Amino acid sequence: MLEGLVSQESLSLNSMDMSVLERLKWVQQQQQQLQQVVSQSSNNSPELLHQILQFHGSNNDELLQGSFSQFQMIGSGFGPNYNMGYGPQHEAMDGCISRTSSCQMEPVDTMEVLLKNGTKEDRPISLKNKRKQEVKTREEENTEKKIKVEADTESSMKGKSNMRNREASSETSKETLKGVSEIPKLDYIHVRARRGQATDRHSLAERARREKISKKMKYLQDIVPGCNKVTGKAGMLDEIINYVQCLQRQVEFLSMKLAVLNPDLELAVEDVSVKQAYFTNVVGSSKHSIMVDVPLFPLDHQGSLDLSAINPNQTTSIEAPSASWESQSQSLYNTSSLGFQY
Amino acid sequence: MMSTYNMVKQEFIKKWITTLHMLDCSVEHPLNVTERKNAIKLSSDIAMAAARSGSTVWSRALISRSGNKTANKPVARRILKKARNRLKNRCLTLRRNGNFTAKSGVRKRTELLKSLVPGGELIKNKDYLIRETLDYIVYLRAQVDVMRTVAAVDSVTGNLTNDNK
Repeated sequence: MLEGLVSQESLSLNSMDMSVLERLKWVQQQQQQLQQVVSQSSNNSPELLHQILQFHGSNNDELLQGSFSQFQMIGSGFGPNYNMGYGPQHEAMDGCISRTSSCQMEPVDTMEVLLKNGTKEDRPISLKNKRKQEVKTREEENTEKKIKVEADTESSMKGKSNMRNREASSETSKETLKGVSEIPKLDYIHVRARRGQATDRHSLAERARREKISKKMKYLQDIVPGCNKVTGKAGMLDEIINYVQCLQRQVEFLSMKLAVLNPDLELAVEDVSVKQAYFTNVVGSSKHSIMVDVPLFPLDHQGSLDLSAINPNQTTSIEAPSASWESQSQSLYNTSSLGFQY
Repeated sequence: MMSTYNMVKQEFIKKWITTLHMLDCSVEHPLNVTERKNAIKLSSDIAMAAARSGSTVWSRALISRSGNKTANKPVARRILKKARNRLKNRCLTLRRNGNFTAKSGVRKRTELLKSLVPGGELIKNKDYLIRETLDYIVYLRAQVDVMRTVAAVDSVTGNLTNDNK
């Protein structure tokens, strides 16, 4: 079983390496293409909006193929390789994972849209300077997940100008462009305009969003190892998927190992908890390098309260497992049942 | 930051002790290796989800999924019943569309990710899916770390008892 898993992983890794490299170069090509496009004359934004919405349901795969063959990134032989590299990986995945999802996605891949326009050349899409920033942020967004406009406007932003009404209008315009139904939270975003940068209200909003996106990128890179070298939304997703599968397989393997090592179900978890308590109480323990702070807390405040409610003194009672097992299990059961009342 | 992760692990350890103990009481011995492995995995999954015990979709979905496995074990059922009812109240019907194929690389991967993360199919917003995934990864990582440590301790003590014989 394990050998089969390893081989599958290596196969997926090989194919993914190819596609990751290719994706990297594709992104760079994208940026170059974008700069070329920007230098053209301006156009109206509603037209762009219409075109983006038209391509909403297009077959982006063919799009990608066409664009790759046009750019000739890694040679002509790469087009079919892309498919091949992707195919077996997916079949392997299909074999072991049952697909039941059918939720509607919101794939506004505007990068591919622009690309298609560039290849067709019958619709010269060009952008004003204002829209240029927006497209660039959308491009960065496509390299990362979408950002919810939430009330957690980062307090790291300093206040220079209130953009309340403009914020709302710009956000709503962005929403229509994205085609996403998000709740526009009217809240202040205070941004300091740096030297040499436009104090345009739209550009300030854009900069705020960009900084949010980069923040999320950092969390992602901290949690998922190996995210630094990959850009592009697909690459990020690849890394995340790989990591999740890796961890799940480890859980399977470790539970089997524990089952083999213990003829009964009495695992030495209490001893581990003693060690763990020691590490928790020791200040500045650098054993683990995972930043778990931000992803946990924005998601759920109750969860964070649960965590903080544990007083470290409670762990000292675990040091005498045999003596206070009954009372300890009673208290643990209470905490676990409490945990479900949310 | 790191202390938060340690607290996560601590919480997981506590819950795991409880769930292990409960499963141990409710199951008839002797068990073969596969049954033991399933029990260990089940207890650790429940403990991981219980340690999160927040408003995350994955933790509730995991509990619901684990509840189906322990249908014959009344002890664990008691814990899971509450959480399962909560999850049932949400709309759990998954539309099965046989003709649906992912059109782009991103969409394909998103579908794959949804199948990996428990409860991922229920999440419609892509942004939220990734947040859930990140949260799930943290707890999964904690689970793996703890299990690895326990396994190391076990192997060490196993060697010691062998030497004493």
